[in-house]
Amino acid sequence: MVRNNRITNNIRRLRFENGEMSQQELANRAECTRQTIIAIEAGKYVPSLSLAFKLSRVFGTNVEDVFKYDE
Amino acid sequence: MAPLQKRAWYSLVIGIVFAIALVAVFVASGDVTTFDENLGLRLAVYALWVGTPLTYLIIMNPVIRKSKQVDERDKLILERAPRVQYLAILFSLVAWVIALTEVFGDKGVPVIYLTLILISTLVISTIAQSAGILIGYWRMGHVNGQE
Repeated sequence: MVRNNRITNNIRRLRFENGEMSQQELANRAECTRQTIIAIEAGKYVPSLSLAFKLSRVFGTNVEDVFKYDE
Repeated sequence: MAPLQKRAWYSLVIGIVFAIALVAVFVASGDVTTFDENLGLRLAVYALWVGTPLTYLIIMNPVIRKSKQVDERDKLILERAPRVQYLAILFSLVAWVIALTEVFGDKGVPVIYLTLILISTLVISTIAQSAGILIGYWRMGHVNGQE
């Protein structure tokens, strides 16, 4: 799980659970660039709410399953 | 490397080359007073002056217009770049004021320096815009994107 301050994400795991989806494919389906996916996975960029929703839709899950906010 | 980042590198390199060319033209032609008297020098400087922002627009516009090549992270970086531009222009103007005050003092600054200040400001602004974009990518690679 990648941490970014208090926001963590499971994108890398979810990609592999979804047929080893490539970063480029995820980027295309979420309408962003591959560099942004790389930055999000590395915990260097926290996406906007709309991109977070798009990413979770690609994986067919809720936003909370992709991103977690640690109290 | 993101398309915008790649373009910013090209733009920065070309901007620096133009700036060096501008200084070289001045050095080769003598001093600043020559600028006032030599039409050829003025035309060369004006061409370089216009060339810098024009090249920037030619390089950057296609990638900014293509929405698929620029996403929210790129836009965020693009929006923050003017901070670097603002600082660069401010520092260049401070440098001009200090230099001209030290050189001319109470004798009065020749009017030609107004043109030179304008030329340098535009060139610095263009270079700083590219530098701002690259700093944005660098920062986002080292610190998290939260504010």
